[in-house]
Amino acid sequence: MSADDESFHPLGKEWEGELEEMLDDTEYDTDLGMEMAQDAMRVTKGELSEAEFHEKYHDDVMDEFGVDDRPTEEAYEAAQEEAKGTVGRMLSAFDGDGEETRRETMKKMGVGAAAVGLGAWGATDDGPEADFAAADDAADGGDDDGIQWGMTIDLERCDGCLSCVDACSEENQLDQGVNWMYVLQFADEDNQEPGHHPAGGFENMLVRPCQHCTDAPCEKVCPTTARHTRDQDGLVLTDYDVCIGCRYCQVACPYGVNYFQWNEPDVEYEDIPENASEHPAAHVPADADPEDVTYSEYDDLDDDRWVDARAPRGVMSKCTMCPTHQDGSQGEEHIGHTACEDACPPGAIQFGNVNDELSDPQRYAENPSRGRSLERLAIPDPEELEDALEGEDDDLESVLDAVDFQAMDGDITTDAEGLGILLALEITGGEQMGNGPEVENHSDFVHYEQEVLDVLEVLEDHGLDLDSQEVLAELDLADPLEEDEDEDDDFEPDEDDAQFLLQRFAGVQTSSFKLLEEYGTNPNITYIGSEPGPNAEQIEGPVQYDSVDLTDNRKEVLDDDTVTGGMY
Amino acid sequence: MSTKTPTEADILRPLKNTSKRYFMLFGAAAIAFGIFLVGWIYQLAVGMSVTGLSDWGSGGGVTWGLYIGAFIWWVGIAHGGIILSAAVRLLGMDRYMPVARLAEMLTLAGLSAAGFYIIVHMGRPDRMVTSVLGHYHITVNNSPLVWDVTVITAYFVLTATYLALTLRYDITRLRDDLPDMFEPVYKLLTLGYSEKEDEVIERMVWWVALAIIIMAPLLLHGGVIPWLFALLPTYPGWFGAIQGPQFLTIALTSAISGVIVVSYAFRRAYDWDHIITDDIFRGLLLWLGFFCLLFLWLQLQQLTSGSFSATVDHQAATASKLSHPAYIVPITMVFGVLMYIFATTLRPSLFSKARAIAAGVLVLIATLVEKTYFVVAGLWYPAFSIYDATPGDYFPSLIEMSSVLGTIGMVVLFFLVIAKVVPVVELHAVEHLRGDHGHGHEEAHESETEPEVKA
Repeated sequence: MSADDESFHPLGKEWEGELEEMLDDTEYDTDLGMEMAQDAMRVTKGELSEAEFHEKYHDDVMDEFGVDDRPTEEAYEAAQEEAKGTVGRMLSAFDGDGEETRRETMKKMGVGAAAVGLGAWGATDDGPEADFAAADDAADGGDDDGIQWGMTIDLERCDGCLSCVDACSEENQLDQGVNWMYVLQFADEDNQEPGHHPAGGFENMLVRPCQHCTDAPCEKVCPTTARHTRDQDGLVLTDYDVCIGCRYCQVACPYGVNYFQWNEPDVEYEDIPENASEHPAAHVPADADPEDVTYSEYDDLDDDRWVDARAPRGVMSKCTMCPTHQDGSQGEEHIGHTACEDACPPGAIQFGNVNDELSDPQRYAENPSRGRSLERLAIPDPEELEDALEGEDDDLESVLDAVDFQAMDGDITTDAEGLGILLALEITGGEQMGNGPEVENHSDFVHYEQEVLDVLEVLEDHGLDLDSQEVLAELDLADPLEEDEDEDDDFEPDEDDAQFLLQRFAGVQTSSFKLLEEYGTNPNITYIGSEPGPNAEQIEGPVQYDSVDLTDNRKEVLDDDTVTGGMY
Repeated sequence: MSTKTPTEADILRPLKNTSKRYFMLFGAAAIAFGIFLVGWIYQLAVGMSVTGLSDWGSGGGVTWGLYIGAFIWWVGIAHGGIILSAAVRLLGMDRYMPVARLAEMLTLAGLSAAGFYIIVHMGRPDRMVTSVLGHYHITVNNSPLVWDVTVITAYFVLTATYLALTLRYDITRLRDDLPDMFEPVYKLLTLGYSEKEDEVIERMVWWVALAIIIMAPLLLHGGVIPWLFALLPTYPGWFGAIQGPQFLTIALTSAISGVIVVSYAFRRAYDWDHIITDDIFRGLLLWLGFFCLLFLWLQLQQLTSGSFSATVDHQAATASKLSHPAYIVPITMVFGVLMYIFATTLRPSLFSKARAIAAGVLVLIATLVEKTYFVVAGLWYPAFSIYDATPGDYFPSLIEMSSVLGTIGMVVLFFLVIAKVVPVVELHAVEHLRGDHGHGHEEAHESETEPEVKA
């Protein structure tokens, strides 16, 4: 893009020169302006956060201009909150991209940065507005955007058991062949006969719920606003009372996640809770009010809307990511969980707030080896552990003899490896270890990590020194002590070694991707595993849909109703 | 051989005479329409599952099919009709003046059929008003479907205004010969008429025609209708800038064909060979040839760019075109028509009205099949084609197929009724033909007077 690689500006040296001249013509400091412009570019690239940018130049700007209207970190965050709460939210309901919020923020950006920075923003590909949005996201660090439910799905852990498909279908009482959640295996050019994946699942799996796109094409084309994004948590839902059944959303969605209710649903509205409750994976109590599992709350509306569970006749339906769970109307414990996530035996589906870097999906995506390990281990009960250690010596060997760490997972070959993995989880956990999102219930990781910490505490209480280099070296978490070397009291375990241990146990992900991201949909599902190529084609998966009373191809069901006069 | 001079009596004939054949045709059209209404009621009772439609993706079907194909087809016929009529007025193509009003009426009938299809296609037609109008101020900003409804409505109003304005002149002058039972209609249509307005009306009509000519390519069949598809990047068979011009040329071919068929039916029924002359058919056929050429040329563009070095998904979509009978057959039909029209320019004796009608009917069938294939194949070959069930299969149900007959019946009924209320040939046209003998109407004409309308 740049004519000259040395120029910070995408339009090249020439434009940079022009900028410099413009600044020379003013009474203000040219060097400061150019430096700020360079950093403004870094903000657009996400290398520098907006808040950092403001902090860095606050003093200089005060000296130069005598005033700095640009918000500092606190002011910026407050402004963001304010904008979100009022005007921004109202207006974003219209265009869905929060344009006005950004404009407001731009106004607050003030003189210096606006003059120089705008040039930089304007010159990148998508125009000033779009790039400001990118800078905005980078600056927030994700935490200030409010909730955006989404998922990380570890395809390398998926064994195609269809439990998630089944659980979704039962929870929502979907018609035969309506697979809001759909799992498939595919053959691709470089892998025509996919087999088992070392991480525990199968190769070339694809788990396909709705992607709950931030820029959902289905929503854009809807002639009624029935298909909408819920402001409070970013879920893309269908208002069953508004939809006219034109099916344009189904056409516009590139993923094929929509299922139209072509005729009367199999299950009566009143029977939804009772039928759902019969299934072990569904959470619905038999005597629940149908409205509790179908109507969902809106922060910005007075009334609840009918957006969940199977659709009535003549309207569109698709995966909802269980908004009635997220509302808490089925109990606090279901907030932050979906039926498919809870049903997934290998824990390949991680649901949570993808705007929060401490949420399960974000932490899993950040370090899948660690996430997999947390999901896989059957961590010993602390009390049973105490019993097992009763009367044993406190050296490593005795502890390993007394406790069966190997039992935590079939792939663990020695007790030392098992204990090493537990320690590695703590070492790689950093400050976040045991600290989940605001509501702890949302996070499975927090529970798992707490369990790990409890076990390690029992061991340390027993007298095993888990900080000693000698013990850590035995567990492959440190270099062995040289003969003449004394034990260092402040020995810090090596995080790389810990990570290596986790990777050896749970595998390293080959790649991660977002599906069809190139179409600008901004999906909120991150996949770990191999992305299907353009020639990928579904093959027969590990478990057949009909073997678990599901129907793969719904057309077979719908064809029964098609009027052909028996002629074709 | 005809040296008959067109008279007022000629254009009043449909209003004054009603034959047995008229009632037979009326009955046939009503039955066709009725059969579909029964099918539609059944669809409303059971659900959309009575169609051959299904979910695309894991469901391996197409969610839009013949209903949408036929919708586009009718809108195309409608738009082309009014473009033709507007061109007559704007460009002074007086030769076609006798069929201009028929073309306008075809527009109203076609738009009605298209509007009916929108309702038939929906899962919850009962919410049309509350859901669509209630959120119009929001959805009009981004939903191509809302743009569609907006522009189609605008076009209907524009065309109806156009027709109503031009009818004032005729009705005032022919009032004494018009049937008394429609007195209130005539009173309403000629409210406040004075001869002084003729000039003003003519100017107004000119401006409306200009608006139509400008709007049609920009907004209608060169705009919002193709944009329903052309704006979706995940369907290689649909996406791209060529769909605007492509849709427009297809609309014009089908519309000219429609005008040929309707004009011939009226000429035959009411002995109008001295009004809707052979010369008009020759001219319409040439225009049909011109637009067939554009139609095929734009198809060629797509086939070439879709196969030479296209993306994987685009290649699959193009390969389907080159192998599917629902594409090959209609394209061959249009090509055959083009060849015939080309031949008539080299050897005029090859022209006959029967062949002109056949060409029109072939093009009408071809455009309906091509448009339906376009809709269906787009969904068969999406960018994300990983599903085993995709591309699936689709064959319209009997109800969907009867909808085509039903809407044709509906349009025939429209003509049968309106021909009894107002003159379908402008008085201006008769006056023009009387005053200006520049155009020949010398050829032999059929002498049948039976009111047979081919649709």
